[in-house]
Amino acid sequence: MIGTSLCRWAISYFAVAIVWLLLAEVLVVAGFGFPNHDIGGPDTLVIVHMVSIGWLSTVLCGALFQFVPVLVARPLYAERWILPALALLTLGLTILLAGFLTLGGHFTGPPWLLPVGASLLIAGFALVVANLGMTLWSARPLPGPARFVAAGLACICVTAAFGGMFSLVLSGTAIGAQWPDLLVSGVPIHAIAGLGGWLTFTAMGVSYRLLAMFMLAPDGDARLGRLAWLAGVAALAVGAVGGVLALRRATGVNLALLLAGVAALLSLIAYGRDMLGLYRARKRRALELNTRMSLVALASLVAVAILGAAFVATGSLPSHVGALAFLGAFGWLTGLVLANLYKIVPFLTWLETYGPVMGRVPTPRVQDLVDERRALKWFVLFFAGSWAATLMLLVDAALGFRIAVAAVTLATLGLGEEFIRARRLADVAEPLRLPTGAVVPQLLVSRN
Amino acid sequence: MTEFIDVDVRPILRAGGEPFSIIMAALARLAPGEGLRLYAPFKPVPLFDVMASKGFAHREAELEGGEWEIRFLPGDGSPDAAEPARAALSDGDWPEPVVHLDNRDLDPPEPMVRILAAVERLAPGQTLGALLSREPVFLFRELTKRGHQWRGGFTPQKDSYQLTVRVRA
Repeated sequence: MIGTSLCRWAISYFAVAIVWLLLAEVLVVAGFGFPNHDIGGPDTLVIVHMVSIGWLSTVLCGALFQFVPVLVARPLYAERWILPALALLTLGLTILLAGFLTLGGHFTGPPWLLPVGASLLIAGFALVVANLGMTLWSARPLPGPARFVAAGLACICVTAAFGGMFSLVLSGTAIGAQWPDLLVSGVPIHAIAGLGGWLTFTAMGVSYRLLAMFMLAPDGDARLGRLAWLAGVAALAVGAVGGVLALRRATGVNLALLLAGVAALLSLIAYGRDMLGLYRARKRRALELNTRMSLVALASLVAVAILGAAFVATGSLPSHVGALAFLGAFGWLTGLVLANLYKIVPFLTWLETYGPVMGRVPTPRVQDLVDERRALKWFVLFFAGSWAATLMLLVDAALGFRIAVAAVTLATLGLGEEFIRARRLADVAEPLRLPTGAVVPQLLVSRN
Repeated sequence: MTEFIDVDVRPILRAGGEPFSIIMAALARLAPGEGLRLYAPFKPVPLFDVMASKGFAHREAELEGGEWEIRFLPGDGSPDAAEPARAALSDGDWPEPVVHLDNRDLDPPEPMVRILAAVERLAPGQTLGALLSREPVFLFRELTKRGHQWRGGFTPQKDSYQLTVRVRA
């Protein structure tokens, strides 16, 4: 191991991602898309892809570029591919969204918008997957958390492949016309592989290492996370393979999805048990805000699992799938990401600023870059707003939902300002703030 | 794992007291196989010979503010689980570490801060030994930038990472 350097562009990924999140939230508050419009309609697809690709995938890619090398103690395969991937993802998403807006009749665009946007996105994700995949490949046999990431990378390939095919169907091309049933059966696979496999499974894997690190809990046991991984991979494999088989025979995907759901539930239970175990075994008694908020996000995941099982049992899943997806995307994933950004951004900033002078002059601690009391109120607002919004969807109160999302938007803005303050070292008290030899970092790029 | 009995002589010394009898009294109460963990405001070098004559090996770690944590291990010759076998690392051509840090229970990134601070105080060519709970991947980058060398690896028990840093000669 020659050591991990700072990823130059991780901060840039985070910044682009937060802009997409804010944009999506503002559109929801303005009443665009679900629940005012059809859940499968083009307007909702705009929001869904802004959140899942623009926000969650972008932020996850940035975090993975920084932390996969830490997970496997190997340098990143190709640092120079990182920025082109961000450009492809951002441009591809923009064109894809324009395609959805054309589909929804908001303006008259050419029919190639969707396939071109999807192609650029596939190219961007391919660069990400190749880069991270080669890094993981060089580190075989993989440690536990990295296996989750590997499975997540496989899932984004499935998601992107389906997305690419959808774009051909939706834009009315001759190729797409050969798959008339693709959307009906393929959308669940696309969504599950994306939200469940890529986003959730990868986040689970990374959280094994990050939470153990932040709680000072021993995570050396090779069995840790094994059941969660096996059950999760089984769920994803059954979902994808079963889904594709069902697709070819056009008999629907319900059985495969049910089996996958059971395995997924088992994986989540095992994961919850592991996290609880780490929490109990922790050596650090007083937890920092980022860890506490990660645990709150985890509670949302538990709620998703319980509600999902209850809805399936009562047969009411189809009418509540929007609320469930919202809780998964915001209460769980967005909450977890924001909580971890609240540690990652100050940490990377601290390392970049004070690393070169550390040991030679007194330097502040990482905690000195943040003000947890101020941030706590934004997190409280964020989670309260997310849960209220979910509740409003469950009781079909569209206006209440928009008001709750307005609170979430405000909280996002507040946390965004906290991240900027950390980058600017705004909360570090003099005289430690800028010792001789230290330089204030740039807002959007790290020096490495 | 060796069980340790803690003896903190810092308040005694601050109050102008004499700690030697306290340490010896604690020693007399040790059960077979137990070790003694001593906290002192300075490095109690004379005590090392006394303890060695009673069959205790010692491991020292500098704390903040120039204070020291010394662990005395019952020297029954068995490589104890509490201490990884240093012989496993081929430090043959490097001098013995002049500073030992036990950073296993520190919050990241505190282990890195302490190692860099301690390295700054060493003379060229001297070495530092440190125990960590994880591979310090971000530290390596700073050591490289400063031209220092290091060797490291997980202990056979896989529960800690043993690092040796050699200051640029």
